[in-house]
Amino acid sequence: MLRLTKRMKPIIMISLIMMAAMAMVFAAGQKEAAADAPIKLAGMYNLTGGFSSIDAPGLNGAQLQAKLINEAGGVLGGRMIEVVGYDTQSDQQAAATQAKRALDQGVIAGLGYGDTTFVMAAAPLFQSAGLPFVTSGATHPELPKWVGDMFFMVPFGDDDQSFAIAEFAWEDLNARKVVVWTDDSMDFTLALSKFFKQRFNELGGTIVHEVFFQTGDTDFSANIARLRDSGADAVFVGSIPNEAGLTVKQIREAGIDMPIISADGYDTELVATVPGPQLANDVYFSTHTYRNDDRPEVTRFVEAYREEFDRDPENAFAALGFDAVGLIADAIERAGSTDGKALQKALAETTEYQGVTGLIAYTRPSRVPEKPVAIIGVQNGEFEYLETWWPGN
Amino acid sequence: MKQKSFSIPAMAILGILGLIFTAVADLMLSSYITSVISFIFLYMILAVSLNITNGFTGLFSLGHPAFMSIGGYVAALLILPVFRKEFFLPDLPPWLAVQQWPFFPAILVGGIVAALVAVIIGYPVLRLKGHYLAVATIGTIFIVRVVLKNTEELTRGALGLNGLGFLSSIWWIYLWLVITVYVAWKLKFSSWGRTMLALRENEMAASCLGINTTMVKIAAFVIGAFFAGISGGLWAHLTTVITPESYSLGLAFNLVVMVVIGGSGSISGALIAAGGISLLVEYLRPLEEALGMYGLGQILISAALLLVLIFRPKGLFGTGELSILRKEITYRSAR
Repeated sequence: MLRLTKRMKPIIMISLIMMAAMAMVFAAGQKEAAADAPIKLAGMYNLTGGFSSIDAPGLNGAQLQAKLINEAGGVLGGRMIEVVGYDTQSDQQAAATQAKRALDQGVIAGLGYGDTTFVMAAAPLFQSAGLPFVTSGATHPELPKWVGDMFFMVPFGDDDQSFAIAEFAWEDLNARKVVVWTDDSMDFTLALSKFFKQRFNELGGTIVHEVFFQTGDTDFSANIARLRDSGADAVFVGSIPNEAGLTVKQIREAGIDMPIISADGYDTELVATVPGPQLANDVYFSTHTYRNDDRPEVTRFVEAYREEFDRDPENAFAALGFDAVGLIADAIERAGSTDGKALQKALAETTEYQGVTGLIAYTRPSRVPEKPVAIIGVQNGEFEYLETWWPGN
Repeated sequence: MKQKSFSIPAMAILGILGLIFTAVADLMLSSYITSVISFIFLYMILAVSLNITNGFTGLFSLGHPAFMSIGGYVAALLILPVFRKEFFLPDLPPWLAVQQWPFFPAILVGGIVAALVAVIIGYPVLRLKGHYLAVATIGTIFIVRVVLKNTEELTRGALGLNGLGFLSSIWWIYLWLVITVYVAWKLKFSSWGRTMLALRENEMAASCLGINTTMVKIAAFVIGAFFAGISGGLWAHLTTVITPESYSLGLAFNLVVMVVIGGSGSISGALIAAGGISLLVEYLRPLEEALGMYGLGQILISAALLLVLIFRPKGLFGTGELSILRKEITYRSAR
């Protein structure tokens, strides 16, 4: 018996330790009691890493809208809205893991991201959980089909914004021969280039050649050498914000003066700060509308943003984040509840939400909103609104 | 001469405790905490399987992430529903586009394919020793990554596959943990295991004793790769995302740290070190977020490695095991 006891002691100790560990983990895992707690929305954004220049303003806009709504009395008769920010560090695995964590913490819907790939990492989890996900800035027109009926887009689709910049290049820049640079590591940029080439060819233009690069590349000299010898009138760069500044800088440093055109991946201050005011010239991109717009929603948003953050909104993604929360709150009021299915129905029936970035309505079968596209030009490092393009032209 | 390598009661108790723990986690805890525990179990599987290659046989392999990628992609491609394959991977070869396998067989095939690749890579690479072998295995990580990035019809290239089914429940992962520990334990306390340990100590002497060193080294490499492939499949269906960059050199380094801290050649050491380190990293995550110091966990892991190498290079258990798990092996001389 004595020998058994000697052997048993360590086993007992280990069992006790494991039970203590279980208790600790159990205690940590307790969810908060609901009661009259605020309505929580998961703000899924990449606050660090390559997408931070568009996602940080996105979260700012989202939280600003929540604050304004709460100050005006909240929703559903006085309940406050809280946008809980989750930083997924521009990493897809972190996006999926943090989405799970958000779902665990009792959110009633998710919103966020300015990029298609991250939406694809996080939104399907909300879809399976039966909760809506409203993207503020991801623009791939097939997203609603890929994710499911719980998914809603605040921005226009890549097809619209690429058509817009293609037509601008044809009509306003008189470009007839264009070189296309495509980041082939992102769904978003692949879509942009595909739609740009489609519309430019339809108009009668020629794509001289197409070259590829990847997110994270820092040296574009090979592509620039080919560009120099191409005889093109303009270069279309399908890039995400991370490479926006670098591409402009290196193209201009090589002494190439032709217009550089892109889409909302270029809607970041990096396009002016990285090359510097002398080199940031003749850059044109399509993006979401809000600058130079004197609609009351826009003025209210810009003033509130200035007051809250001591600066102007950095780019359209701040306005989009603002609109995402506004849309969800509006849907909550129309649905009269925060239940997933009811909220989804109210969102799907949206026909006239006046957002800062334009009217949001899900009338097309693709469930991509028909919204105006703004063309922005950059001269001497200054962003200048040029014109608005409407889909269905 | 009768010998049992492990004390059955002790192992059984631990196994049942683990089962109870898993049940509690699955039924009573939030799914986020459950997935954290699932990750801890996965790290344990990886550490124990790396121990077979690095610990028992002394091969300094940093190639585990390459096999994880292979296993993960194969499993994901087999499991992905046909309708998703249509718009996600429109250029798949037709015989693959119609496959839609259940979870367990697909994971198994992922492990088998990883093991086959290990056989092919093993013959040339395992001729090298020490640092050269380490660098060659690092090379395999990059080769696998580049192949995955460039076979876009099969893998979507650099975009990776996302929206994978969340199929790796904590029960499956626990099952594979039990299988891995069982295989490792049986291997260690068999003549194969003793051969591997002998090879680690002195390869020249081992081959003088008539051991086919090539076969043994490749076997160790392949078994480790098999479990790495299984883990890759499990991991991909836990995070629901897999990209060519998912399993990197950083992960290989962390696994080697777990093996070293636990003791090269000790299964219980690998389990405890893997469990302890991954638990610590999870605990630190809220602190990392609050301070904005991302990577704090990684710094601590590296610091722990330095301390262990300086003060206790054998690691927690050296080549031995937790004493209560072993039963005395008594050699009775002929009477």
